[in-house]
Amino acid sequence: MFFFILTNNNSNKMFFLFILFFSTLISISSNSWFGCWIGLEINLLSFIPLISNSKNLLSVETSLKYFLTQSLASINFLFMILIKFSLLKNFDMNNIISIMMNSSLLMKMGSAPFHFWFPNIVEGLSWMNNFMLMTWQKISPMILLSYYFNKNFLIFMIIMNLIIGSLGGLNQTSLRKLLAFSSINNLGWMIFSIMISENLWLFYFLIYSMMIFMMISLFFLMNMYFMNQLFINNMNFFIKLNLLINFLSLGGLPPFMGFMPKWIIINFLLINKFYFLTFIFMMTSLIIIYYYIRIIYSSFMFNYFKMKWVNLLMKNNMSLINLSSFISISSMILSTFIFM
Amino acid sequence: MLIYDIWFLFIYMFSVGNLIFVSKNKHLLVVLLSLEFIVLSIFFFFLVLLMFIDYDMYMLMVFLVFSVCEGSLGLSILVSMIRSHGNDYFQSFSML
Repeated sequence: MFFFILTNNNSNKMFFLFILFFSTLISISSNSWFGCWIGLEINLLSFIPLISNSKNLLSVETSLKYFLTQSLASINFLFMILIKFSLLKNFDMNNIISIMMNSSLLMKMGSAPFHFWFPNIVEGLSWMNNFMLMTWQKISPMILLSYYFNKNFLIFMIIMNLIIGSLGGLNQTSLRKLLAFSSINNLGWMIFSIMISENLWLFYFLIYSMMIFMMISLFFLMNMYFMNQLFINNMNFFIKLNLLINFLSLGGLPPFMGFMPKWIIINFLLINKFYFLTFIFMMTSLIIIYYYIRIIYSSFMFNYFKMKWVNLLMKNNMSLINLSSFISISSMILSTFIFM
Repeated sequence: MLIYDIWFLFIYMFSVGNLIFVSKNKHLLVVLLSLEFIVLSIFFFFLVLLMFIDYDMYMLMVFLVFSVCEGSLGLSILVSMIRSHGNDYFQSFSML
């Protein structure tokens, strides 16, 4: 990703990227809630220059919407921190103050019911900026969520996330919005894994960001932003196979890598008798796999026209594509050899 | 120190600021002003809270620095919007 930033004559964006990484570290490793707020503010301050590009009307609108929602959320967060400090509610996690603090963090993440800005903004950003927004920007709100959460409120939010993420993606033709709704759905799984254990959240998050990275890098290199761009026959077989595998892996289908974290969460759910929640997790995953399969079935199984003017990169060096396909297929099975 | 009615003022100021933020306005500048108003109410709240801890106001200054940075970032986005769209009306958003 640094390579892509350097080739666009944008080396000043490396500075903001460095501060972005640093801000998350400030936020998650601070001693007090005020330090967390400072980290979130620096995060906002350094992400806006990365996404704003004054040659484009769309990116101005995007950066404006991002700024308004995030600054409102962090100001509310600070106010709730002050109220929590003044009323000395440090150990009581089932009150309205934890609900308000969690709400502002959920708004920062783009989780339902505060998700309305998320598909809009994802639609206006380039693929690499989307990758940062979907993966790195979620770290610090989620870790802050794990420090002081209200269990009943969060379970309700998880159910809303799953349902909105699955049903919202049914009518999309833009690949960015599709991945945005898939990201909202996966947020539901990730918030639940926070409530189980932070280690499990880290595991889920790493695998999710790896899968998103593989998909986004493929879409970026092929310069594809909409679904109708997938319906061309000029793609190399390995690129098609990789895309197929990554879509199915993101949906959570068994032999692929994306199934492993979901399996562990479902295991926990069933052992602890969360039957209704398991039902909702399963059914919404099914809807997501439905619209992934709808895309890949019609784009890779049918015979479309071969356009002569489509010019795809990467006709020679397939090793990275093959490596990512191999990782997606075999990592679940290989992990059993490592850990058992 | 025993007057707890001041909490109502802070919550009222904060709520009014939020209300103006979420209202339908014609200009973007009103939204940014409402953000600054929320910052002002938090500043006041922070001041009163820190007076209870032996008048230790350093954190208030750090808060002020970060809020000013955020306000100036909002203004720079406003300027960028005016340079591209020509005005700061909300009705000119049609792309997303």
